[in-house]
Amino acid sequence: MKREEAVQAEKETDPDVTATSLVTDDISAGLPLTEAAYLPGQAFDEMYGPGGEVRDHYNAVHARLTTLSAEALADRQKTLERSFLLQGITFTVYGAETTTERIIPTDLVPRIIPSTEWDHIEAGLIQRLRALNMFLDDIYGEQQILMDGIVPRDLVLGAPSYRREMQHLYVPHKAYANVCGSDLIRDQDGAFAVLEDNLRVPSGVSYMLANRDAAKRTFPGTFRAANVRPVERYPDLLLATLKSMAPDWRPDPQVVVLTPGVYNSAYYEHAYLARLMGAPLVEGRDLVVHENMVYMRTTTGLRRVDVIYRRVDDDFIDPLTFRRDSGLGVAGLFNAYRAGNVVMCNAPGTGVADDKAVYAYVPEIIKYYLGEDAILPNIETFLCREPAQLSHVLGNLDKLVVKAVGASGGYGMLVGPHASRKEREAFAEALKADPANYIAQPTIQLSTAPCLIDGRIEPRHVDLRPFILSGEKIVVTPGALTRVALRRGSLVVNSSQGGGSKDTWILADDAAREPQP
Amino acid sequence: MMLARVADSLYWIGRYLERAEHFSRLADVMLNATLDRSDAAAQTAYIALSAVGDPDMARAARTYEAAKALVLDREDPNSVVISLSLARENARQVRDQITTETWERLNLLYLRITSDNASQAFESGSSAYIHEIIADLHQFKGAADATMSHGEGWRFLMLGAYLERAQLIARLLEVCFGDGRDGNVTDRIALMSLLRMGCALEPYLRRYTAEIETRHILEFLVFDEEFPRSIRFATTLIEEHLVGVSRHVEGGLATPERLAGRLKARLQYADVDELESVGASALLATVTSECARIHDAIFDTFVAYSLEMKLPA
Repeated sequence: MKREEAVQAEKETDPDVTATSLVTDDISAGLPLTEAAYLPGQAFDEMYGPGGEVRDHYNAVHARLTTLSAEALADRQKTLERSFLLQGITFTVYGAETTTERIIPTDLVPRIIPSTEWDHIEAGLIQRLRALNMFLDDIYGEQQILMDGIVPRDLVLGAPSYRREMQHLYVPHKAYANVCGSDLIRDQDGAFAVLEDNLRVPSGVSYMLANRDAAKRTFPGTFRAANVRPVERYPDLLLATLKSMAPDWRPDPQVVVLTPGVYNSAYYEHAYLARLMGAPLVEGRDLVVHENMVYMRTTTGLRRVDVIYRRVDDDFIDPLTFRRDSGLGVAGLFNAYRAGNVVMCNAPGTGVADDKAVYAYVPEIIKYYLGEDAILPNIETFLCREPAQLSHVLGNLDKLVVKAVGASGGYGMLVGPHASRKEREAFAEALKADPANYIAQPTIQLSTAPCLIDGRIEPRHVDLRPFILSGEKIVVTPGALTRVALRRGSLVVNSSQGGGSKDTWILADDAAREPQP
Repeated sequence: MMLARVADSLYWIGRYLERAEHFSRLADVMLNATLDRSDAAAQTAYIALSAVGDPDMARAARTYEAAKALVLDREDPNSVVISLSLARENARQVRDQITTETWERLNLLYLRITSDNASQAFESGSSAYIHEIIADLHQFKGAADATMSHGEGWRFLMLGAYLERAQLIARLLEVCFGDGRDGNVTDRIALMSLLRMGCALEPYLRRYTAEIETRHILEFLVFDEEFPRSIRFATTLIEEHLVGVSRHVEGGLATPERLAGRLKARLQYADVDELESVGASALLATVTSECARIHDAIFDTFVAYSLEMKLPA
């Protein structure tokens, strides 16, 4: 579609374009998208090609951005934030005297991925999770891959996330990681690669759904015309995945969502998924284990529980088996699980497969089990446990990103090029003291996408977190959470480090338009 | 079937919101009375503060400050802001059980009353501010009624609301007409204020005309079958909802249901002549203590029951 047509179509179909917003669309109000403001760096830009041309799949959104005034955009941004606050999509900041609730910063400009590119991503994610589930089944079973020397034995068995308790335990469909959220990034050439796998209790899917809801209201006309694939089926696909994990002899299995409680930063998501699945949201204190069966306390007595979608970390699920001081879990839960009377999703011990050191071996793991090359490549990774690689890392600290193996959420991390000499020296000491605890990767210029920053559209670095479900089969929801590093030039997208998020539009193939419900 | 903890939270949401509405109304009537004759204002403020449980003449004299504290003082466990915060905290814990429409009403109310400029908003139009709170609470009830299934969860919400209401009205009447006080309220303006506190003035006028009499007020607020804030109306609904939630409890009549049935019968077979001859205090005290027993019995039966009784053999 040519740009003028796109603008025209938008004005005709967009119910948001009322008389008032047409008035505020006056050119003199100042346009938010100008070449002066939009300065892509060396990174791959999602909207503009290297020659400054707008990429085809961004045409409609680009056109929309050039017709809306800064004020109109700011209004929509405000409406969006207000709606998040009202819905309670917030995290709580506990201060000395008062507690306040904040929303995770959300950017209203959608990030767009064309269908062919998505097909490639989807195939890569399915391949990867299939191999990782097989890897987990193997290392908690016969340990063939360790005997064949593909992955070092001590790396796996010595990882704190390896749970000996899981050895020789039956897991239905060999589906260990029922919910997986992998972090993908685009390198400078625009190719997608996997930065990290999250197989423990990945979060963020509620933001994918809430952002979509908001985008539909912010750009209804553009959204309709763009033919975006729906994400709204995620809750029912999740429920089907969880139910597929229940034993066959339990008709109509009772699924529950286990949350650490209202003070957990992802509580909103737990409640949201429970509500949309129609499953009770339980806390540890609602569950009782009796003779290796799990029950929940209802108003009319105890009721058997079959599948627990647990959003509590391994360490805290059962004080009898794991951390004794945990008040969040259920005493005896692991024994009930071992007895096959209840299923936990994800299985305990999946963390060993997203360990940052094991990550380096994932391409070989895929090759070993599936006999295929990895569709989505890894980022080149140096394992500091290897002396040769350690000295390379120490000599190139100013160019590398160094991460602690056990940490997540952007903690325990050094971004070499952005760190001071002093910070690098301090980190070098930590590295030498405990090299096995660190890995290093080249600093990747994550791709940039247009974001609304102080009334102007500017490029910011983004990553991509799609969500993959695996039970009886593996399903990828055609959507993702795009995380944004809101500070100019920053490469850290974690919400704990000042990151935000935005909606991600996966475009449908025009030939294969999805049927309207 | 619902989680015991969830039923408990829904019950407390009902209680806290009823309390917030009632105390908002007390504050509103106090403010309104300051516009009239001064001694009536003080008497009205005294009634309201006594009903809250803080019969302080010195405080009652500073009606405006007392009303503002009743709404916004976070140090006061009875204040509207505390009730709303607790209701919202409970709602957050059962967010998966209440509809989005209902949640958003309550969340909006909470965000407004806890915002930094709440005090300023109150000062720039106190009566309008309180009216807005009451209107929002009515919207919450309307949204809950229109969008929630009227099943078990709903019944626990209603149980909390009606038990709280019966106790609050009993307390209000006790303050005005109980025995052993420094004289019952007889001043016409104070009596009208009392009816306003019970949200009963207009329905009362339609029923008894503008002749405001103690006997009629008692009859209306204790025994009326149709007025939703009469004690009899509340106890009838308490029993009805308990019958609803007890259907699934094994073995005979559950204790809360039996207690509620007895209280309802007591109100059905008493009348205002009896109240006038022996004084209102005895009956009002019974209402208060029986409601407390029902409250405990609900907790014991549905929430904190002993596990040994319920474990499968």
